[in-house]
Amino acid sequence: MSSDDPGKPPTHRRGWDRRQITIAAVCGLVIAAIGALLIVGLINHNVNNSIDGSIAKGERVPAPAFTLPVLTSTPGLPATGQNLTLTQLHGHPVVLNIWASWCVPCTDEAPILQSIWDRYRQQGVYVLGVDVKDLTGDALGFHHQYGLTFPTVRDGEGNIEGPYGTTGVPESFIIDRQGRIAAALRGPLSASGSTGNVNSFVSVLDTVIAERS
Amino acid sequence: MVRRLLAALCAALILATAAAPAVASVDILSLEQQLKCPTCEVPLNVSNAPSAVRIKAYIEEKAAAGWTSGQIQQSLVQQFGRDILATPPKSGFDLIVWLVPAALIAAGLVAIPLVARAWIRRSRTAAAPEVTPSQDEVERLNRELRQLGD
Repeated sequence: MSSDDPGKPPTHRRGWDRRQITIAAVCGLVIAAIGALLIVGLINHNVNNSIDGSIAKGERVPAPAFTLPVLTSTPGLPATGQNLTLTQLHGHPVVLNIWASWCVPCTDEAPILQSIWDRYRQQGVYVLGVDVKDLTGDALGFHHQYGLTFPTVRDGEGNIEGPYGTTGVPESFIIDRQGRIAAALRGPLSASGSTGNVNSFVSVLDTVIAERS
Repeated sequence: MVRRLLAALCAALILATAAAPAVASVDILSLEQQLKCPTCEVPLNVSNAPSAVRIKAYIEEKAAAGWTSGQIQQSLVQQFGRDILATPPKSGFDLIVWLVPAALIAAGLVAIPLVARAWIRRSRTAAAPEVTPSQDEVERLNRELRQLGD
């Protein structure tokens, strides 16, 4: 018997009709898509805070991997324009320095890094610059101006900053022969005055060099 | 004499114009508005961050060298990646960023009359509650209808 029968009150359909289900499905999809975009955005801008915490506890975390084009090379490394992967340096202690030509403290730090390179390269140490968010010509000009001979890779987009927890430039890291971070310096290397930190930085490097794989 | 002088002047002006170096036709302000500072993420034209200052100088240098706006932008994208663009390009996967808001607005415009009609229908139904007649009332109604028919 249908609800249209005379003498019978009309009955209400229970639950959702097809149109309501369609609208709900579309709304659900839109909300899910927005949520997915937010999650992807958060993942892509993930900043690694574990490096400093691990170092403070006396632990070493694996240095985040990267592959970047070489801006200035040195014998034994890929030529200029080719890609260098961090794992290619495993077995060598590495001083990783994140810098840019427009960064004023980087100008004070450059001679210190060059002196570390001059002093330790014979012991198998690599000083590796990572030039971030910089014009290629400016970066090359900076190298030339300060007579820098250590190798540098280019990271115009600054993709390395998130994984290394970088909040600005310059920052330096000591990576041991196993590819683990032994020290992280958030700020410039300084040789003078009470803020001088080169000695403590180099002492960690000496420790890393003394370790044999 | 005057005619000859005027003709010589016109000829000199034409020659001078032809010999002048091509002036770059780059709208620098517009280009800076389309790009953003890689360190502070604000449009290049309103940023005074050191990296932005260098990029602005680069733009002026290349514009003076005769580069087009597109060439300068392409060169910067090669050096800094697409993140340097203030707005995503209207092509490829990035097109979705432009299409989704437009589609949502269109869907909203379509939904407004539909939802409004549904609300009106619901309020009318609520204003006139259904009354179920009693058996006596049904019989009386039928009786009166029959009388009217007679």
